[in-house]
Amino acid sequence: MDKDEGQSKANIIMVTDGPAIPNPRERRLINAWSIALTGAILSLLLLCYAGPSSYREALLFLPDGILLTFKLTALAICCAVPLGLLTGLGRISRNRCVNLIASTYVEVIRGIPLLVQVFYIYFALSQFLRIQGVPAAVIAVSICYGAYMGEVFRAGILAIPKGQTEAARSLGFNRFQTMFYVVLPQAWRTILPPVGNECIAMLKDTALVSVIGMPDMMQRARSFASQSYAYFEAYTVVALVYLIITLLLSKIVSVIEARLNYYDRRK
Amino acid sequence: MTAESNGPMISITNVWKYFGQFPALQDVSLDIAPGERVVIIGPSGSGKSTLLRSINRLEEIDGGSITVNGQDINDKSNDINMLRRGMGMVFQQFNLFPHKTVLENLTLAPRKLLDLSRTDAENRALLLLKKVGISDKANIYPAMLSGGQQQRVAIARALAMQPAIMLFDEPTSALDPEMVNEVLDVMINLAEDGMTMVCVTHEMGFARTVADRVIFMDHGQIIESGPPDVLFGSPRHPRLRQFLNQIL
Repeated sequence: MDKDEGQSKANIIMVTDGPAIPNPRERRLINAWSIALTGAILSLLLLCYAGPSSYREALLFLPDGILLTFKLTALAICCAVPLGLLTGLGRISRNRCVNLIASTYVEVIRGIPLLVQVFYIYFALSQFLRIQGVPAAVIAVSICYGAYMGEVFRAGILAIPKGQTEAARSLGFNRFQTMFYVVLPQAWRTILPPVGNECIAMLKDTALVSVIGMPDMMQRARSFASQSYAYFEAYTVVALVYLIITLLLSKIVSVIEARLNYYDRRK
Repeated sequence: MTAESNGPMISITNVWKYFGQFPALQDVSLDIAPGERVVIIGPSGSGKSTLLRSINRLEEIDGGSITVNGQDINDKSNDINMLRRGMGMVFQQFNLFPHKTVLENLTLAPRKLLDLSRTDAENRALLLLKKVGISDKANIYPAMLSGGQQQRVAIARALAMQPAIMLFDEPTSALDPEMVNEVLDVMINLAEDGMTMVCVTHEMGFARTVADRVIFMDHGQIIESGPPDVLFGSPRHPRLRQFLNQIL
């Protein structure tokens, strides 16, 4: 059993972009996460209160953008996670047609940069179908991340030992029931950290939608910079705000991850 | 599932199974009567687990037929999920659901598949846990149990569906020696209750005590079969004699 768990971890590591999520077992006060967060908050406070006034102005210019960034991210997560689950299930489906559709989707989308996808949906498709900014941004990000998450779901599901499926099937559960009562509830635990990673990456990648004029954080920083010519100040502030948000989110994911390990505790 | 009054409960006829080019089962035929306790022994790789797993179609056979209560389990018009409800299976690696408590492991299938109410399913589960001697562990997770306890829970989980047949796939092979007996005792009790049992095991003592018939398999074939005293006392086939010499 221990060996299986080791293998499942190995599988997950293969599909992530890298550990954005702090290790929950890292309990020391001084670690990479706390240094980064304290540093970011202190720098931001210091710059805004002790630095030139343009830092403060830049920060005050951002809140609308922060809201939009959160809104885009939340909407995109709501679409991308179910899409990823469907894709992951499709990729392991025994139905050749379903499998082929899911695999082709993953191959195609992973091969096209998100920036190009955003342009494509907003500008190229506008010849046939006018999609508004917010839906276009959400669609582009969800379609892109649905493909990445599909791989995460697939790996997480395959990491559950085969004996679990056999035990469920031998009791009389069909394939679907086995997946939803037995496999997925366990797979969540291995899937959550990389999915959390992807969600945080999504928040950062929504910055790309500023190119279609969405007034998100990045776009707000850009307009502030172009009005005031305070490029350094504007982009320093927006970078620090992104950093603080993603660090806080990664902490939340790591806390949830620790909670999900409840049934592993031994005597 | 009710046993037909006459005729075998499980009928295995000329079954072939290949893993790639390797023939795991070669023309195996075996009939098992209702209430019969059959123990399958043999060296590893002899096909005994494959044969057992073919009975509830965890392995798909490549030739021949297997019927349970007269129903062909490989016939697509028979719902295999319904047939499996009547056949409990116990695995070498226990395969308890780690995210569910002991009680939930026992109630999941009866509640979802038999539409039992929570109370009914829990009452049934608690009786079974008492029967296998671990009623005090109902609300903890399997990871906190010893191997022997986990396997007893696994037996109880299979029994919760009230199957007519129990299939055991080397149920004690993954256990520490001191835990083997607690599991075998549960199985012996079950046999005394008249359950139809097919058991793949290396426990010859168990085979002697419990089996109505012992089957010796090697190279995917049934080499010899008979009542335990005959098979162990005066084995005819040289391969069986060799096997018994090695393990006894």
